[in-house]
Amino acid sequence: MSPIKKGHTLTGKQYWRSLDELAGTPEFEDWLHREFPQGASEWNNAWSRRSFLTLMGASLALAGLSGCRRPEEHIVPYVKKPEDMVPGNPLKYATAIPMGLHACGLLVESHEGRPTKIEGNLKHPANRGRTDARIQASVLDLYDPDRSTVPSRGGVRSDWTAFVSFWREQFVAFQATGGEGLAVLSETFSSPTMMRLRRAFEARFPNARWVAWDPISDENRYEAIRAVLGRVHQPVFHYDRAKVVLSLESDFLLTEPEAVTATLGFTSGRRIESEKDQMNRLYVVESLYTLTGANADHRLRINSSDVGAFALAVAGELQRQGLAIEGLNGLTVPTMTGRAAEWLAPLAKDLLRARGESLIVAGSGQPAAVHALVMAINGALGNLDRTITYVDNRDAAYPSTSGLTKLTADMAAGKVSALVMIGGNPVYNAPADLNFAAALSKVATSVHLSSRVDETSAATVWHIPRSHYLEMWGDARSLDGTLSVIQPLIEPLYQSVSEVELTALLASGESARGYDLVRETWAGLVTGNFEVGWQTALLNGILSDSALPSIPVNAAQVGIAQAMASHGWSLRPTATTNLEVVFHPCYTTGDGTRANNGWLHELPDPITKLSWDNVATFSPKTARELGVQNEDIVSIQLQGRELSIAAWIVPGQMDNAVGLSFGYGREKAGRVGNGVGVDTYRLRDSQNMYRAGSATVSNTGRRYELATTQDHGSMEGRPIILMASLDEYRENPDFITGASVIPEFMAESEKAKERDLVREYPSSWKEPDYSTGYQWGMSIDLTTCTGCQACTVACQAENNIPIVGKEQVRKGREMHWIRVDRYFTGDVEDPGMEHQPMPCQHCENAPCEQVCPVAATVHDTEGLNVMVYNRCIGTRYCSNNCPYKVRRFNFFNYTDEYPETIKMVQNPEVTVRSRGVMEKCTYCVQRINRGKQVAKLENRSIRDGEVTPACAQACPAEAIVFGNINDSESRVARVKRINRTYSLLGELNTQPRTTYLASIRNPNPEMKA
Amino acid sequence: MKNGRPVNSLVVDEDNLIPGNPTYESITESVAGIPEQKQTPKAWWALFLTAVSLAGLFFAEIGYLFYEGTGIWGLQIPVAWGFAIVNFVFWVGIGHAGTLISAILFLLRQRWRTSINRFAEAMTIFAVICALMFPTIHVGRVWFIYWTMPIPNQMDMWPNFRSGLVWDAFAVGTYFLCSLLFWYVGLVPDLATLRDRATGKIRKMLYGLFSLGWRGSNRQWRHYELAYLVLAGISTPLVLSVHSIVSTDFATSLVPGWHTTIFPPYFVAGAIFSGFAMVMTLSIIARSVYKLEHIITMKVLERMNIIMLVTGTMVGYAYGMEFFIAWYSGNQYEQFTFINRAFGPYAWAYWIMISCNVIAPQLFWSKKLRTTIPVMFVASIVINIGMWFERFVITMSLSRDFLPSSWDYYSPTIHDIALLVGSFGLFFSLFLLFLRFLPMVAMSEVKAILPQADPHHHTEQIHG
Amino acid sequence: MAEGERKIYGVLAEFRSTGDLLHAAEKMHGEGFRNWDVHSPFPVHGMDRAMGLGRSPLGFIVGIAGTTGLTLFALFLYWINVYDYPLVISGKPYYSFQAFVPPMFAITILSAALAAFFGMLALNKLPRLFHPLFASKEFEKVTNGGMFISIEASDPRFKHDETAKFLESIGATSVEIVRGEA
Repeated sequence: MSPIKKGHTLTGKQYWRSLDELAGTPEFEDWLHREFPQGASEWNNAWSRRSFLTLMGASLALAGLSGCRRPEEHIVPYVKKPEDMVPGNPLKYATAIPMGLHACGLLVESHEGRPTKIEGNLKHPANRGRTDARIQASVLDLYDPDRSTVPSRGGVRSDWTAFVSFWREQFVAFQATGGEGLAVLSETFSSPTMMRLRRAFEARFPNARWVAWDPISDENRYEAIRAVLGRVHQPVFHYDRAKVVLSLESDFLLTEPEAVTATLGFTSGRRIESEKDQMNRLYVVESLYTLTGANADHRLRINSSDVGAFALAVAGELQRQGLAIEGLNGLTVPTMTGRAAEWLAPLAKDLLRARGESLIVAGSGQPAAVHALVMAINGALGNLDRTITYVDNRDAAYPSTSGLTKLTADMAAGKVSALVMIGGNPVYNAPADLNFAAALSKVATSVHLSSRVDETSAATVWHIPRSHYLEMWGDARSLDGTLSVIQPLIEPLYQSVSEVELTALLASGESARGYDLVRETWAGLVTGNFEVGWQTALLNGILSDSALPSIPVNAAQVGIAQAMASHGWSLRPTATTNLEVVFHPCYTTGDGTRANNGWLHELPDPITKLSWDNVATFSPKTARELGVQNEDIVSIQLQGRELSIAAWIVPGQMDNAVGLSFGYGREKAGRVGNGVGVDTYRLRDSQNMYRAGSATVSNTGRRYELATTQDHGSMEGRPIILMASLDEYRENPDFITGASVIPEFMAESEKAKERDLVREYPSSWKEPDYSTGYQWGMSIDLTTCTGCQACTVACQAENNIPIVGKEQVRKGREMHWIRVDRYFTGDVEDPGMEHQPMPCQHCENAPCEQVCPVAATVHDTEGLNVMVYNRCIGTRYCSNNCPYKVRRFNFFNYTDEYPETIKMVQNPEVTVRSRGVMEKCTYCVQRINRGKQVAKLENRSIRDGEVTPACAQACPAEAIVFGNINDSESRVARVKRINRTYSLLGELNTQPRTTYLASIRNPNPEMKA
Repeated sequence: MKNGRPVNSLVVDEDNLIPGNPTYESITESVAGIPEQKQTPKAWWALFLTAVSLAGLFFAEIGYLFYEGTGIWGLQIPVAWGFAIVNFVFWVGIGHAGTLISAILFLLRQRWRTSINRFAEAMTIFAVICALMFPTIHVGRVWFIYWTMPIPNQMDMWPNFRSGLVWDAFAVGTYFLCSLLFWYVGLVPDLATLRDRATGKIRKMLYGLFSLGWRGSNRQWRHYELAYLVLAGISTPLVLSVHSIVSTDFATSLVPGWHTTIFPPYFVAGAIFSGFAMVMTLSIIARSVYKLEHIITMKVLERMNIIMLVTGTMVGYAYGMEFFIAWYSGNQYEQFTFINRAFGPYAWAYWIMISCNVIAPQLFWSKKLRTTIPVMFVASIVINIGMWFERFVITMSLSRDFLPSSWDYYSPTIHDIALLVGSFGLFFSLFLLFLRFLPMVAMSEVKAILPQADPHHHTEQIHG
Repeated sequence: MAEGERKIYGVLAEFRSTGDLLHAAEKMHGEGFRNWDVHSPFPVHGMDRAMGLGRSPLGFIVGIAGTTGLTLFALFLYWINVYDYPLVISGKPYYSFQAFVPPMFAITILSAALAAFFGMLALNKLPRLFHPLFASKEFEKVTNGGMFISIEASDPRFKHDETAKFLESIGATSVEIVRGEA
């Protein structure tokens, strides 16, 4: 497609022309190109706002061409048709976000054709309306002011038509040789259209090659499956069906691609209404402290390289307890020592008790051997086809490091004359030993499709701007094969194309429109009347019954031993004493593609609570031995490669383990991401993709300032997070009584009466009457909350919360309205971890209100503690007097330096706060009011669940419940009647409307903590 | 005096009023002579230029603050109040000694006060000016500061009179106005003296204007004396109320370490303590620059030292009592806060406070030390440092309150410090101008306590 | 002669000491003069009694002002908190008078202080920047060490020379005719 051509039919036309005119003048051109990719990396640093004036000028020009423009193709709104779109009323469109081999269904809120907020699509089985921080923040990438705006050739402005004609020549030339020397390097994908076009490409150029690769992937798992089953099948984990889950260093709750799906399933097995309910049990064996480990009922820290041996030992123990595991005989079962040894018997017993209802999952970082063994154990436990199913997804391009290795070698050898890279950023993140950059320089014709002129684009001949998924047509399958259309909400802001459109050009030599390409594919997928089916698919966001059938699998088809032998795999414990580097993806920046997203950079890591940096993590003991403290810069040597990075101590991490996260140290990410953190890919080689032993670490003596949002990790023995084991809870269902005050409405509830709970503090005067009308309240279940912080980013997106930057975060001025507190519990060397979301508690007796000299924060009749920005003069007294410290202050005018494009993501229904004003969680009052309007028009009262704050809506653990506590049948009222409900710091008689459900863990009584 | 005329030493002290046998004229001469000096002393210029440049820094910083926002300070969440509030409480406290000397000692007929009350009052006014600066500039949107006052407006909104900050605005505002009136009323007769002695036209005009045409007629003295008495009377409760109300900024909150009933008395004692220390510093400078040893006598200084010893010890008692109550309350948050004060991240500030405020004044048990100028000069400065840190320590209770997750460490920026230093510049500039242009001793009051001022002094025999 | 044309304001007599002044004042009072006054650099103890002056009404003025200020302010607070713009703040009653005591106190003090100051000025008819007495060179001493008695011509018992003589008789060291508009 050609945006220019399309532009003629659009309101944005004159904008395009105006830019062309502008761009025509050479000085604007250089200036634009100078200003945009580099510089201003401090745009979120309030100290130097002047430097943005120029920038805003430029963005302004771009904002023009990115005004309110609805795609010309006929897209279908989710709830209403576009024709009855009322200005001011946001519309929601169903689409999907492609996540490599996975995809989540979305409903995107669009204000006058401007997508502002992402929410999950309830109808999509993969995420059932839920999202995580990464998905929430993806809308910001759409408006990233550092996206490239036009194709460029050799760094010089060009345009799409020029590239099309250029490719035609190539196309003809390669047709002669059948594509000899032509290669495509793509990201992994699971998309019928992409696969159709890839096949067309491969048919057209039989001698060409197509390699799919991701820097972080489940490749090892697929390799194991290939070895055991003969061909790759996509495993689907059903955590909701599992009573006992054993994670072998799998962070399925956070960093694994299917985290949302997994969290939904896993927490559904942990949600308990009363002491009589059942809970699932999670065992985690890992080296670093992951969020999954933080949610474990039992966590064993162990060397990453010993996990395989441990798995084998478990298998051995299972056999000892009478479970026959096919093909295990060939293997010698290692003997465990210490806590690992204590674990085996009770763990195996527990797994056996839960045959067919247990689930063992190994992490992406574990070698194929471990995955193969895990398949065998799961098979023997009868979990296959129950808690794990396999689907045969023919539309998936699976990752292949070997493929990349070979490709790079051929490039270096000059055997590749043309390389087209569809996405990805190999120059930045390919294994260091491949030396991709050098190889790339040998390729005559290199093309890179990318959202920005990144490290790779800078090294290629052609750079083609890539469309954001919210501005392109496409399709994607989630892990279970459920198929969704990716429909755009807005015309491409710039001269960008989607991977589908580029691939089509590669395969056919003709430029085609994504819309037609996708419909063409779907013609073969939709049964019955195509238009009807297509409309329905767009409307629902999924193609009904498109989930792929699970194929029966028998792990015994191939003996594990043979698989091991044939691949030379081994599971021997390494008994490593030297330092072992363990790589892990960063939750926020992922593999580095999201590195220019301010929301994600500012989002603290759930474990370290560090924002704006990556670090090398050590256990306290190892840190002592190395003489390293927090913020010391350490030098890490690994196979002749060296890296200097700040150190951070994480209690509970395995001794002698060095945790390094990917995704930082970008040089060409943009003004936000450039130079943030350290590039750890430089240490990584294709042989040791996820861990490497025998590293040496030395303290350089230099220091590096890190920005943490939580300095103190201990609860100091205060009743902040109330905890109990399931057994303790059953013995004493009211264990929270006395530990904290029972909220008033509970005291009045039947349940409270029979348990004769009364408020401890009778009031000395008549308190306001909250017994009529809507009375809003919230309940947060600390048992199911995993601490993933999806709520934090959802809130940031919904409420226009500014990004303040590292300096300000370090000063303690982060603006998040809902933070997630992390506390360590128990032993200092090997502690447990608890998370607690902390929004405004909306106290009925709010301490913040009485101290405000100008009555800028007061109570409304529905029990909301409302913050009147216009009245606030900024004495900050309210924050001092808030025992929960949930109020945030605009110390500077944090928003006035926003580039125009970033301003487009702001929610028009929420005030953008100015300097000197206090702000805080409002329970998303704008949503409450919209709910009231709708209800009033329909002459009814708001239905339960009709109004949901952004945090509750996003929460993949469904831990946050919001509603009208005055309606005793509402979900929130019912949840609040659960006997685990307590008000935080209730003894202060603040009477919070936000209450917590005490955290219950389900440890195995037969296992020593 | 400067121009070499001998001055009969006069002693304003009930113990012995006679020696030196001063006359009304000699008093007028030695006091009014100072503002009338032709050439200003070098020392004055040296001090004034320093002070004025610091005052300049103060206003420059305020300008930058208004331009950038309160972010230029070290403030954050949880410590949303920093130097600005500490300085505010510090300066308000300084003021109290002035009112105490001029009002309470007046009511108690402590005649030795007459030699120092005038510039003690001046000090009060200048200190309160400095104090009022800080709560004004510390707000995020300073252009709306007037919203704290009940002024009818289009929003039809009124201030929240439950807030300690509004109480402050009223208490300190009242305090400032009363002190100003009290001071001015006292000045009127002396301004008249300057008017009648003035040679230059401008001086005559200005002094004439401000002396309101005072004729010293007894029909005027009659109302005048009552007015002065009344003002003294209503200033007296202010001495106790103002700092009590300031303390409620902290005491009415629920922050551990703030939420305590001991604050009002403890703040008042501290205020008088620091106030007297400041009067001491100033009188030592003034009497050495202007050779007023014969008016501000050692006896006066010694009395002030004794008051400092007493109040300092009261403050020390309060520190101890805070710990006891924290322990006795059984409230774990309170207990933690106080342990944390003495041994936590701000222990350094705490121990500076203890050594300056509790230990230093104990020197004054010794007669010798409390009558040695250098000792009391150093001590008075040390005490004010200590009292500043007291307020700092209290404010820093914020850094570790209920939820450990929000704990953080506050450290001031260069701008915080510049404003603190600058406020001293402002204070001393104003004070030096006062010394230069106004009578620093209440002449009419001093004359009134001379032996010959008593009508029955010479003329017993007439009555027979 | 020049003064001849100008109206006589009165007679100004200087005395040596506070003692003499006091006794002179007693005699003046005894003689029943009305429009006369005593001038001294500081208030002379017992002079009010000597001149037969009663107590100053300033006390009442201040008292009334204070109570009025308090009452009005209390009513004002009730009005804004209960009628004009009632707000639920920290779940407290609209009229939390306990919390309003500090500002009420401040307002009481303030109104009293202002009344004392302006009341004093009013009673003393100040500011009055010019007064015929200022015409006398001698009179400048009154703010330094001089003691004076002045009698206005408007006094019914004022007789040009007799009054001057009378003043000398009661111990005036010097007597001076002062001219000018009162």
